[in-house]
Amino acid sequence: MKKIQQRIRPWLVKYLALPSDVVMELPRITIIGQLHVYIENHKGLAVFTDEELRLKTTKGYIQIKGSSFVLKMMLPEEILLEGKITDVKFIPG
Amino acid sequence: MKQIQGSFIKGYVRIIVTGRMPEMFFQECVNSGVTVWNVRREGRSSCSGNVKLSDISEIRRLRRERNYKITFEQRRGYPFIFRRFFRKKEFIFSFIMSILLILFMSNIIWKVEITGELPKEIEEKINKQLNTYGIHAGAWIFMIDPPAKIQQRLTDDIPELLWVGVRQKGTTYQLEGVEKIVVKEDKVEGPRNLVASKKGVIKRMYVSKGVPQVEINEYVEPGEILVSGTLSDQPKSEDGEDKEKEDKKVLVPAEGEIIASTWYEADVTIPLKQNYELLTGQQEKKFYLGINNFKFPIWGFGSPDFEEVHRDSTETPIKFIRWNLPINIIESTLSEKQIQKLERTQEEAVQAGIKQAKEELQLQLGPDAKITSEKVLHESLENGKVKLYLYMTVEENIAKAQPITQGD
Repeated sequence: MKKIQQRIRPWLVKYLALPSDVVMELPRITIIGQLHVYIENHKGLAVFTDEELRLKTTKGYIQIKGSSFVLKMMLPEEILLEGKITDVKFIPG
Repeated sequence: MKQIQGSFIKGYVRIIVTGRMPEMFFQECVNSGVTVWNVRREGRSSCSGNVKLSDISEIRRLRRERNYKITFEQRRGYPFIFRRFFRKKEFIFSFIMSILLILFMSNIIWKVEITGELPKEIEEKINKQLNTYGIHAGAWIFMIDPPAKIQQRLTDDIPELLWVGVRQKGTTYQLEGVEKIVVKEDKVEGPRNLVASKKGVIKRMYVSKGVPQVEINEYVEPGEILVSGTLSDQPKSEDGEDKEKEDKKVLVPAEGEIIASTWYEADVTIPLKQNYELLTGQQEKKFYLGINNFKFPIWGFGSPDFEEVHRDSTETPIKFIRWNLPINIIESTLSEKQIQKLERTQEEAVQAGIKQAKEELQLQLGPDAKITSEKVLHESLENGKVKLYLYMTVEENIAKAQPITQGD
């Protein structure tokens, strides 16, 4: 059953033009310059320090690196990060 | 950012979480519906963030389940400001005192202004009179009479004033006066006749100018000429000599008094039984603080030992700067009254009715008229009331000036 779902979803995205973040439960990341990162649809915080933010997602982690990080707002499944961003990295887990 | 709007009004706290993986505590908070913002890493094992004041109990509950140490820092927002403010007794005291002071000041007369083109001495007089009423700078507004009453009293007490407008504008009393200027009545000195204004029988005549056209004991109708202002120049015996001279008439303003006997009819109804109230002059004053319909006594306790009480109360709102507060100072005067019962016989009622009718007629005709006789034409008693139909004869001046029009 799960396998069928996993197969159908990319198909829905491809042929029916449904938004991929909703259909496939992927995080949506909005980056504004080097200043802000806005992450929706994540599955929780893993690590947060001055220089690193690691968030759980359905498939692994998102790692954001930079300096002087502040979490401007924390809501369930939403995070707004402020600081000087240098890297955004997907870590499969 | 909508979630953290208004947090300053409701108050927020900065918490510092210490322990292993402190950021995970914030994640727990978020999972249980607590909004966290401005999260910052403070060190290896501590993290700080803002939470709403209303979420504190939730955080306490979460902390009990985990192994974190939480310290509160920086309490911000209005709830904390208020708490800090109310903790200082002297501050509250001075705040209340200042409000009371403003309240006190707003209910005092600061200035009495007299405008209008008045001579100095009348202005002085008004000031003096106002002082006797208790209106001067520094007087309590609710202790003095309302402007309309002062207006009445001022015009009564100062005969030189034709009119005075009293207006209370906040803490100043504005008076506008108009001086009475005696204007000499211009007599129209033109030729005129005297005509009758009412029907009547002539009793006496005093003619100082003009030719009388009527005689004593003659009945006249309204509009009839009594004294003519047209004088003929030539004597009657020389008739026929010069005809054109006859046309030359001298016109004078006729003057005189024609006293005639006139008559009036009147209806009066007099009840046999009558109740009326009389104030004995005994009175007590009470002061209340009125809020809506509730009255709180401030001065004058206990009820007076009068049997019948006449109540008279005036309300004056307390002012705050320029607004009227919903609090009133109510001054009520309790006066003792007596209820008088009057019962009279039919005979007495008739006498009272005649007296009343005479007084009314005298008032209507003025003081110069003299009521000479009265007669009851019809008398009936119904529903405890005596109904009278009266006939009165009066002696009065019926002369009325009528100008003689010339040339047309």
